[in-house]
Amino acid sequence: MSFLGRSGSSSSNGINQERVDMAIQELDMITDVFNRLVSSCHNKCVNTRYAEGDLNKGESVCIDRCVAKFFEVNKKVGEKLQNMGAAASGG
Amino acid sequence: MNSPPLVAPIFPAGKEPLPPGLTDEDREQLMQAKKYQDWMSIGMESCATKSIFAGGGGFAIGAFFSLMSSSFAYEDPLLRQNLNTRQKASEIFKEMGRGMWRSGKGFGKVGALFAGIECVIESYRARNDMVNPIAAGFVTGGILARNAGPRAAFGGGLAFAAFSAAIDLFLRRETSDED
Repeated sequence: MSFLGRSGSSSSNGINQERVDMAIQELDMITDVFNRLVSSCHNKCVNTRYAEGDLNKGESVCIDRCVAKFFEVNKKVGEKLQNMGAAASGG
Repeated sequence: MNSPPLVAPIFPAGKEPLPPGLTDEDREQLMQAKKYQDWMSIGMESCATKSIFAGGGGFAIGAFFSLMSSSFAYEDPLLRQNLNTRQKASEIFKEMGRGMWRSGKGFGKVGALFAGIECVIESYRARNDMVNPIAAGFVTGGILARNAGPRAAFGGGLAFAAFSAAIDLFLRRETSDED
């Protein structure tokens, strides 16, 4: 019974370990994208002269557009990379 | 939703950490409340709302100035001879009210136009700098003087642009660091 228990727990532990690793990687990727996005849109859109704490209308609009463009660029570059990879592996 | 600031949105949807003191049953209510709050803030920052507030403020200022200037108003003493004191007083107050309404309308129009146009230009350019009020002033001046011919409209636009540039230079001045 203990042997069964141990083998069962070890196999379930193995699957869990893979999923945990994948989850950690995904978390790292999401955090990395988030940090880049915030950093680049802040540098592009927010004026360095801080007259007040709230965002202006212009700055809010700029940030909306910046985030949308960032994801668009991400998507396009990902598609091109995928095509390149497919071409390289196919050809 | 209420994750610590500066941290990536890493929680799966529907499992974000709750603010202290709330249970999972309140989550639905919290999302609803947050949705309405977001709509309110979007509405408050929209160009239409800004235009309405500026128009209201302009109306109030115009009415106030007219009220103050009506104390300097002179008129022909022979104008309302056949009325007794109470009727004369009521006539004078009605005149004051009409003046306040007229002047308030004018200032309100100016304020609403300028604020609305500046907000639209700023939304289009996605930048906040001195170009927005100057361009908005030019367009507003042109619109206000549209019935006086093209040259007058152009001159009025230039004048209003200069005026609004002066005001915005004052509003954006460098204040001292010790506040």
